[in-house]
Amino acid sequence: MSTLHLSHGPHIRDRWTTSFIMHTVLLALLPTAVVGVIVNGWHSLFIILASIVAAVGSEWLFCAITKRKLSILDGSAAVTGMMLALSLSPTVPLYIPILGSMFAILVVKCAFGGLGKNFVNPALAARCFLMISFGNAMTKFPLGVDGISSATPVADLLAGRTVNITQMFLGTTNGVIGSSVLAMLIGGLILWGLDIIHGEICFSVLGGFTLVVGLFGGQGFDPKFLLANICGGGVVMGAFFMATDYTTSPVSRLGQLVYGCLIGVLGALFRVFGKSADSFSYSVIIANLFTPLIDMYIIPKPYAYRPAAIKLANGEKKTPLLQRIPKPVIALTLITLLAGVALSGVFSMTKDTIEEQKLAANMASYQEVCPDAVSFKPSEAAKEAIANLNGGVYGTKYGKAYINEAVVGVDANGQVVGYVISATSGNGYEGNIKLSIGITPDGTVKGIAFTELNETPGKGSLAAEPGFINQFDNRSVTQFVLNGSGSDGIDAISGATITSTAVVNAVNAGLDFFHSVMQGGN
Amino acid sequence: MKDTFRGGVHPRGHKELSREMPLRAYEATGEMVFPLAQHIGKPAKAIVKKGDPVVAGQCIAEADGFVSANIICSCSGKVKAVEKRRTISGAMQECIVVENDGQYTQKDPYTEKEDIEKLSNDEIIARVKDAGIIGLGGAGFPTHVKLMPKKPLGIKYLIANGAECEPYITCNDQLMRSSADEIIEGMEIVLRLFPNADGIVAIETNKPEAIASMQAAAVGHERIHVVALRTKYPQGGERSLIKSIAGIDYPITKLPADVGCIVDNVGTLYAIGRAVLYREPLFRHVLTVTGEALVRPCNFIVRDGTSFAELIEAAGDVREGKEAVKVISGGPMMGIAVSSTEVPITKTTNAITVLPEDAVEKADSYMTACLHCGRCTTVCPSGLMPQMMADAIIAGDYERYENKLYGLDCVACGSCTYICPAKRPLTQAFKKTKAEIMARKRAAAAGGNK
Repeated sequence: MSTLHLSHGPHIRDRWTTSFIMHTVLLALLPTAVVGVIVNGWHSLFIILASIVAAVGSEWLFCAITKRKLSILDGSAAVTGMMLALSLSPTVPLYIPILGSMFAILVVKCAFGGLGKNFVNPALAARCFLMISFGNAMTKFPLGVDGISSATPVADLLAGRTVNITQMFLGTTNGVIGSSVLAMLIGGLILWGLDIIHGEICFSVLGGFTLVVGLFGGQGFDPKFLLANICGGGVVMGAFFMATDYTTSPVSRLGQLVYGCLIGVLGALFRVFGKSADSFSYSVIIANLFTPLIDMYIIPKPYAYRPAAIKLANGEKKTPLLQRIPKPVIALTLITLLAGVALSGVFSMTKDTIEEQKLAANMASYQEVCPDAVSFKPSEAAKEAIANLNGGVYGTKYGKAYINEAVVGVDANGQVVGYVISATSGNGYEGNIKLSIGITPDGTVKGIAFTELNETPGKGSLAAEPGFINQFDNRSVTQFVLNGSGSDGIDAISGATITSTAVVNAVNAGLDFFHSVMQGGN
Repeated sequence: MKDTFRGGVHPRGHKELSREMPLRAYEATGEMVFPLAQHIGKPAKAIVKKGDPVVAGQCIAEADGFVSANIICSCSGKVKAVEKRRTISGAMQECIVVENDGQYTQKDPYTEKEDIEKLSNDEIIARVKDAGIIGLGGAGFPTHVKLMPKKPLGIKYLIANGAECEPYITCNDQLMRSSADEIIEGMEIVLRLFPNADGIVAIETNKPEAIASMQAAAVGHERIHVVALRTKYPQGGERSLIKSIAGIDYPITKLPADVGCIVDNVGTLYAIGRAVLYREPLFRHVLTVTGEALVRPCNFIVRDGTSFAELIEAAGDVREGKEAVKVISGGPMMGIAVSSTEVPITKTTNAITVLPEDAVEKADSYMTACLHCGRCTTVCPSGLMPQMMADAIIAGDYERYENKLYGLDCVACGSCTYICPAKRPLTQAFKKTKAEIMARKRAAAAGGNK
């Protein structure tokens, strides 16, 4: 008999290896990738491949340079590459996923010690790195039918417009490559069923998110509204694939619940109050950073050291269920509930004030564009026409333009001195642009004023500067033309064509409405 | 009563190799070796010297102190030497070597059943002690010590451990099938010592024949019940059994008797029955010789001191085209890999597992950094956090290991190492750290005494 092998027990091992787990996660992401490629075309496939190859290549390079054991076969780099690709817009040039994957692997993963040592999710960190470095390309989504780069469903949702939940669920809408919620759910639930990802995390993320969106989203627990919020902005991907990254999530079950709730609540707060369509990446990263803290303080006691077990071992009777719930759980639940009630109380108290302030802001802008008026009264014809629009887009030539309100300005004697139309364009670079247009009885534009303008500071925000806005003053035209050379021309803000287009579209929609409904009606 | 504990793993059983092989006596031929330290506690003191004639059933080494056990000769012949020999652990240990004359002359035929009605409790315990009985489940704790808890009236359960959760091992399955009545007799004797206790025979569901056999034998014994437990490793661990049957978790500092339980292996109970009723000391026991590398895996009744090599040969030796890459004393989860087959079996050796491949070597090639996946925490039967414990060891933070993470409560069942996808050597590190912390404590205590 030749030399016998010696080792410590156990002498048999489970078949699951790191590589098996990683490749299973990769497979679970495959349905999403396939849907992404089918919906968005071949370029998406190239993005996915470039991202994976760059990730695996970077790790190989790192191992080669630092003379470490080659670790690319464990599949974790490929998973990072895949997750990054799925969180990118299908229009990004190929250098973006390549740079992103290199950042994820070389900086976030390898520089901090490799597998199991990264302090935040590498794919998400890379996504944020790309958002900062290539903001324009990262937020550019495929062109809509009107030739204008259209917003993602979450942007629509944040702007208070209706969205198609079915399309969002299937992933056939505008968004990142991995926006198919259905495919994500299939993969995620399989991983959960295989016990590869922890249900404690996924469901507490979704639970926390739903709760906060329901409480503060402004539409209560309307199932459609909640579903639309869950289906957009990578919530499902975040819950099942990003938040569940082993290395950056807590080990204990209680810790995982706390961590998951943190992600869900932060993600919802960022979305509801920050109006950010991209909130989920950041909330996961922030929670990642809390993981060491959670793991330091939430260490479950071994079964034998829990109060109920100690009593039982000492021969005492079992304590009732209520007393067996760990105190931190009760405390956390109470704190969460109290905070929720307090916040929603504050919200409902301030809600009316906010509405009043909004009204006041509207009135101020009406006054600004129709200075001769002493008071404003509603126009019956306009009211009816707006009601007929039913909140839909006005006209076909103005992109996503909406008519909010149209009023008649009168002087002290009751004489009509002008008209004000409040219009909105949903095609702003950062969501909605809302403005009021003042028109004299003879059809001349008196001036315009913004009531909502959230455009990029220094670029789109220049729309409010006199240089741009005053161009509209005292012009007697039926329609303005952006960069037109004629008497109806308006010069665009340099570097903010999208904003300029949106403003002109909103004004033109308002003028169209005035001429076809109000003046015609008069 | 629940049918299981929290955590645990489901390794492949491999019991089909030997489970239908009936127990058969194997009589050794060569020299027999009896290590003086086969049990927990102080090694026994040799009471024979070179050249002394001995017979089977004769005590050749006496218990040295309270926590120690007699060692009984299993064959007849002459004492060849009292010297250091290699044992299962790989270390050279003091052993009594007997030249076996092959006659198996016994001190007594051990066939006459005594009426024990008039025996006092102390006499029963004395017989158990004289017979050199120790826990045959693996740890080898002297049984007479276990039978003398501080509060005998507080004992609620006598658990007969027939779980046999270790993969590959089937000898207790066969013992329960063939000797159910004797096991029940042993239980009745122990139950006499504990008037408030119920006898529970605990068997995993994967042994239906043994369950049926024990149930049949338990008919008419009011205090004895047979319980089927879920098939899960480490179901046969003392703590897992107590959790499953009494519902109690207790810290490592306590003994089962402190929480009202006495746990004895079915083999031990069988030996108690033989010792008390027939005055037969413990010098043979059941053992499985198994593994994919062998021609004919078997269940044997073997004599203590037989060498591994002889038993492997008795099981048909290694198959043609296969190689015995690893030989394990015991099962693959908690067993010890031996460096040579020229070592003797002891009272606690319940299996010899001969494997044609080394899964550990293969696993080591798949080793990666810890993923923090938390699998180890879900399988730990004690509810520990193995991953955090491993981190604390790497950081050298023994204070955190011991006091925050309760690392000394690890029972070294190996479940965490078994399940780890990154193939980290967790249990190994815990055993080493525990030994180190205990050594430091002893050193500190010794220093304090000066």
